[in-house]
Amino acid sequence: MAGERVSGNLKRWIRTIVAVAMALALVGLYFAPQRATRETALRKYPNRIPVRFWHMWSAEWKDVVDHIVDQYNKSQDKYEVIALSVPGTSGDTKFLLGAMGGDPPDVMAQWNPVIPTWAEGGLLTPYEELMSPEEKALFDRDAYPIVKRIGRYKDKTYGIPIGVNANAVFYLPKALREAGIEQFPKTWEELVTDSAKMTKYDSHGQLTRLGFLPGPWAVTMALFGGGLYDFKSNQLTLDNPANLRCLESLVALRQRDGYEQVQRFQSGLNTQSFAGGWPFIAGYYAAAVDGQWRVQQLAKYAPDLEYATAPIPAPLGGAPGAGFSGGNFMVIPRSGKQKAGAWDFVKYWSGLTNPERAAQFYVDGGWLPLSDKIASAPIYKKYIHDHPQFQTFVDAVRSPDLTAQPPVAYQVFINDKVTKVEDLALRGEISPKAAVQQLSEEVHREIARRKELGYDE
Amino acid sequence: MNARTRKDLTGYVFIAPWLLGFLTFTAWPFVRSAYLSFTRYDIVRPARWIGAANYRSLITNDDTFRNACWVTVKFASVAVPLGIVAGVSLALLLNANVRGITVYRTVFFLPSIVPTVATTAIFMWILNPKIGLVNGLLEKFGIVGPAWLTDPKWALWSLVMMGLWGVGNSMVIYLAGLKDIPTYLYEAAIVDGAGAWTRLTRVTLPMLTPVIFFNLVMGVIGTFQYFTQAYIMTKGGPEDSTRFYALYLFDRAWRYADMGYASAMAWILFIAIMAVTGLLFKTQKKWVHYGG
Repeated sequence: MAGERVSGNLKRWIRTIVAVAMALALVGLYFAPQRATRETALRKYPNRIPVRFWHMWSAEWKDVVDHIVDQYNKSQDKYEVIALSVPGTSGDTKFLLGAMGGDPPDVMAQWNPVIPTWAEGGLLTPYEELMSPEEKALFDRDAYPIVKRIGRYKDKTYGIPIGVNANAVFYLPKALREAGIEQFPKTWEELVTDSAKMTKYDSHGQLTRLGFLPGPWAVTMALFGGGLYDFKSNQLTLDNPANLRCLESLVALRQRDGYEQVQRFQSGLNTQSFAGGWPFIAGYYAAAVDGQWRVQQLAKYAPDLEYATAPIPAPLGGAPGAGFSGGNFMVIPRSGKQKAGAWDFVKYWSGLTNPERAAQFYVDGGWLPLSDKIASAPIYKKYIHDHPQFQTFVDAVRSPDLTAQPPVAYQVFINDKVTKVEDLALRGEISPKAAVQQLSEEVHREIARRKELGYDE
Repeated sequence: MNARTRKDLTGYVFIAPWLLGFLTFTAWPFVRSAYLSFTRYDIVRPARWIGAANYRSLITNDDTFRNACWVTVKFASVAVPLGIVAGVSLALLLNANVRGITVYRTVFFLPSIVPTVATTAIFMWILNPKIGLVNGLLEKFGIVGPAWLTDPKWALWSLVMMGLWGVGNSMVIYLAGLKDIPTYLYEAAIVDGAGAWTRLTRVTLPMLTPVIFFNLVMGVIGTFQYFTQAYIMTKGGPEDSTRFYALYLFDRAWRYADMGYASAMAWILFIAIMAVTGLLFKTQKKWVHYGG
């Protein structure tokens, strides 16, 4: 009896302690400082003017960004940049809601095609209002053509790039040697022919290595002399004959390798990997079109891999050196409270006024330079020396023939339709000609709808 | 103030937090979206009245909208009945008085409490045509499985198949319904000489029809709003074969910044759901038995 009473008392005690602990935990959670409060409390320079900076990087990239912010904060004593990572598409939504509610960040790093829509709606500050005449002259003189093109909308600069992307072919010299190919092909046609020799199958006829994985249609069409937009006449050029030639070539290549075959082969690979899982590392592709960021990742995750890079070869009669580029850019909201501080930070990071100092950031992030002044900084030269494969991309980004996303408010719609008709054509569901026609029809129908609804286009 | 008024007021004060939340976060957006559906609104600029242009464009000029409607109806017309059949069958099996039945019930219910995103991520691997579990099993029988999620002929049906994974939720409701059937009905049926099949078709299923009706209505509403799995697994592809209504609505709203158009879509969806639900309620007199 006594034992049962002790056991009962003990249970009651345990129950009481657990209940009190849970109640305290709940109260603690409720009163725990929120993120903003913590940020304020943890500010390193509380006496300075705060500049709120949102960006979309996460994981290892976030560390690089945080380091740049730290460096900036140490470099002067007027502003404190406070960085906040808002990854993915939620960043755009958060920005829009913040801007509409009168509480946007002071500056935001973006890579989504947002400038036309946001600029059209008056959400962004044109940099022409922030730059001094000297700074404007410096930007116009030094920045590569693509850098000036990426952030422009209706003759104004709304985005200053802090990193530009370029594409090239990554290839395995060993695969070339095995196929008896002495040097990397000089033309698109040669590459397509040679890739057949580098493609491998197992005893069941299943693909074990793809000779050549081209980039998407939108990335490749410029090499054929095409593109989605003519920046000189400010016109969409969806049905440019070169676009059709490009798609025909991509379809022919895919049909040769077998759509179903390639689809199955790729579905077993971690094609989305941005790290050591990239199938190229394991030799699943002999040659593949990809961006400059792979160079740094390969150095980190596969330092012993023997690989090389080369410009994507243009077809005969095409446009060598042409290409498609996107990038990371800084935008400053119209309703931001600290535009001067935001612009100071953009200048610092982009290297507009001190390219040698900024070169370090581009090295840290494995980003392409915005001007020859950054590219020729000793630290950047050393980076290229240590990563010779990077030179291909540095050369590519200098090209005056790099094209960017069409600067129209329905950019995302166009991208979706381009991807859709490309997919249909590659699957053999429709001919390349029908794909181009469908793209043109769907986009022009959308333009007509927008006109009817009173949009500006 | 008389006692009745005071009592009413006290009641309203107690429900005021919920009432305020409802008015602010449900009722007002509901009314506002009706207005926005008649405007051109891109979030960035103020909404501008354009009359019925959004509705006109959707109905007469938008192939993707028509395709999204068709995909959603096709999915609902297969996934809902299949879910009901699977749920009822499972509930019947798990209604048996066998040893360890509570463990079985838990096992079948467990998948429905796994977060949708986690289930979806797992199914992306299970349905992988090269290294996935399903094709691995098919291969053992000499069958080359399809590219489930990248083949337009199979993608939608893959999502239907995945939907069965979460059938445990409705199974529990069916099970509760089965437990509610009075035993004297079975006793009377046995006395009348009814076999197992007759008892199932003449007693169990008719008595279960209120629960089936409930799950049918909820299922139709749920599938008309189907989004997460398709957003994660297929993004509407391949070839728009899984571009569900809600997915297209999301794209229009947040990716194309076309809130007016998306609001019009939301209202069409609302009216469609109301119409189908109303139709189902009309039919219930003919097949739903409420006992008593």
